[in-house]
Amino acid sequence: MAYPFTDEHEMIRMAARGFLQDWYDGGAGPERIYQSGKAYDSRAWAGFAGELGMAAIAIDEAYGGASLGDLGRVIVMEELGASLCSLPFLTTCGIVADLIDGIGTDEIKQDVLPKIAAGEMRAAYLDGHDAKDKRVYNTVYADCVDTIFLSRRAGDAIEVVSIPTEANGLIITPEKTMDPTRSFCAVDWSGVAPLDMTVIGKTTQIQLNEIVMRSFISLAAECVGGAQKCLDMTLEYAAQRVQFDRPIASFQAIKHRCADMFICIEAARSAVYAAALAAPDDKTEAALIAKAYAVDAYFKITGDAIQLHGGIGFTWEYPLHFFFKRARANRSMFGSAPRDYDRLATLIFEDVA
Amino acid sequence: MSQTSNLRAEFSAWMHANFCGEYECLRGRATPGDEDAFPGLRLKWEREMGAAGWIGVGWPKAYGGRDASLEDLVSFNEEYARHGGPGRAGHIGETLLAPTIIAYGTEAQKQKYLPGIKAGTEFWCQGYSEPNAGSDLSNIKTKARLENGRWIINGQKIWTSLAMDSDYIFVVARAEDGSVGRCGLVFLLVKLDQVGIDIRPIKQMSGTAEFNEVFFEGAMCDEADIIGGIGDGWKIAMALLGFERGASTLGQQMIFADEFRQIASLAKRNGMMQDPMIRQRIAKAYAGLKIMRFTALRTLEASQGGELSKEGYMSKIFWASWHRDLGELAMDVMGASAEILDDGEYNKLQKLFLFSRSDTIYGGTNQIQRNIIAERALGMPKEPRGGGIVIKG
Repeated sequence: MAYPFTDEHEMIRMAARGFLQDWYDGGAGPERIYQSGKAYDSRAWAGFAGELGMAAIAIDEAYGGASLGDLGRVIVMEELGASLCSLPFLTTCGIVADLIDGIGTDEIKQDVLPKIAAGEMRAAYLDGHDAKDKRVYNTVYADCVDTIFLSRRAGDAIEVVSIPTEANGLIITPEKTMDPTRSFCAVDWSGVAPLDMTVIGKTTQIQLNEIVMRSFISLAAECVGGAQKCLDMTLEYAAQRVQFDRPIASFQAIKHRCADMFICIEAARSAVYAAALAAPDDKTEAALIAKAYAVDAYFKITGDAIQLHGGIGFTWEYPLHFFFKRARANRSMFGSAPRDYDRLATLIFEDVA
Repeated sequence: MSQTSNLRAEFSAWMHANFCGEYECLRGRATPGDEDAFPGLRLKWEREMGAAGWIGVGWPKAYGGRDASLEDLVSFNEEYARHGGPGRAGHIGETLLAPTIIAYGTEAQKQKYLPGIKAGTEFWCQGYSEPNAGSDLSNIKTKARLENGRWIINGQKIWTSLAMDSDYIFVVARAEDGSVGRCGLVFLLVKLDQVGIDIRPIKQMSGTAEFNEVFFEGAMCDEADIIGGIGDGWKIAMALLGFERGASTLGQQMIFADEFRQIASLAKRNGMMQDPMIRQRIAKAYAGLKIMRFTALRTLEASQGGELSKEGYMSKIFWASWHRDLGELAMDVMGASAEILDDGEYNKLQKLFLFSRSDTIYGGTNQIQRNIIAERALGMPKEPRGGGIVIKG
């Protein structure tokens, strides 16, 4: 098995891939989501998160999970990225599961984590620290979940509360977005009664950042999975497309661009796997590198894939545009790559004499 | 890389006790771009390493090695870099030729050549490239013919690293008249100190001259100084390149990390760290360093399991391009002072900038690396030869 994965990891990957590529169905899956106007597939969630057990992957064994940590989550996110399947895995099994595990009381953990592991809870996360009017405009998956976890200032500390999406006064408005496969919502909780909010726990800004940044690794893995899918499609196309009496794959202009795509993807892959394996003290730095590198790589690869497909790559019918749009959206998720690199530069300069 | 052994600790202790005194001036020196530094002292250092048994630790025990695992070889190279050991003058003999002789050579060749390599007293250089056989390496024109029990060699090799400090050269030459490409080649072991051989250093844009031209005019070696048979030259030449299993990669990366830290530290001292674009480039260079390390681990793990992993093919182009970019970053961090030669000489960063232009050329250009990746890692069609294009002139 290819380092750093074990045979167990590989079995999980194959199970996830089997399910998700059936869903993807040569691009029919994302198109169906686009046509439906709602970026969520409840049957796919029940099958993937519940029956297949994928929601349990990174949850602690004590709470009914598989305890496979960041590396397990990377496998699932790569396969989600390769299919663009519209499921709120990143927020439910990433940020929210980690938040509860990190700052929840034992009672909260006993209550919530087994539900997440079983695929019975879907959750979104929003950062309301600077939302004076209790409104934000960029919460992913808010309209596909049953619970929203909100972090907000409470004096010098940060408090995390949960709000059921059916709570009175909670207004969730899905936006029309360029990437139709991931939901993106405005959320207004100004009318929610305090009784409908359950305090999960208190934390510091530093701890919250550390928790949220672990999901950078998942986002980066999604990028790697999507980029690999685009390279695979490009290689297949270039091998069968004949011009000048030759498959275009035999032209150096095509070969070299594919080679550059390969280098870029494998470098991003290394950054992601390194971050998944990083020790706690190195996690933040490694997560910054993984995300910044992978979002740039993904965008470049999807653009290259469209270019190398020629005219057909530019059609709506051919599914490359869905990956291109997701890659674009990822560039502004959790902040931009230039901002990540700037934060990394600060860490580097703190470290040198 | 789970097993542990005491080789790392043993070698580290030896370096600590011996890499000092007169050798102090070699610290961090003689890396690529600086290989002509302190030639005499570096050869003496090799003898020091050899006498203590630190040359050939990866060889089988039967030939005086320690049969070290890949993990131990990685540790060995890391410790060497950590202690600031100079570029190894003997690495071509130790890590490339010796494994080739052990695998394909005769018993007599092993007896004749391995002890000098092992002792750090005999040095080798590689006679592959020719003026018209660069990227198209198999287009070799140097000729060898057998006459009265000797091979007579005529032709020219070029870009021969360390020829001026070497005692021997291994030469790939054409032994069958009229043969082309990979056929009809021989792999010969030739003593450099003879009247039929002339070595001329090539002064490079970096001002240094670690590459050479080697001219053969009736040069000779014994009939027995051939590895494999007539026509096996290409196979042996490629097998030799395959013996570099990447053990030195992590050591090389430690040298890169030192260079990076020096540049980051300069940016902090001279205020360039405030420049937003410099900050981006510093951060990206650092990310590249981390990516190189993890990619090397992936490749090493795969090769321990006897597999050739796809990502191994990207190693050369990735580090070469990264290092070239680092050189450019170094100059921009230096600002206007990048132009000034202290004491009339290039300083370390200026040398890095200039020499790194060769990183993307030697050992297979970036363009050839892309062909290799496309064909071997991605399974795309091979480059056609010729193609009916008429060369004017």
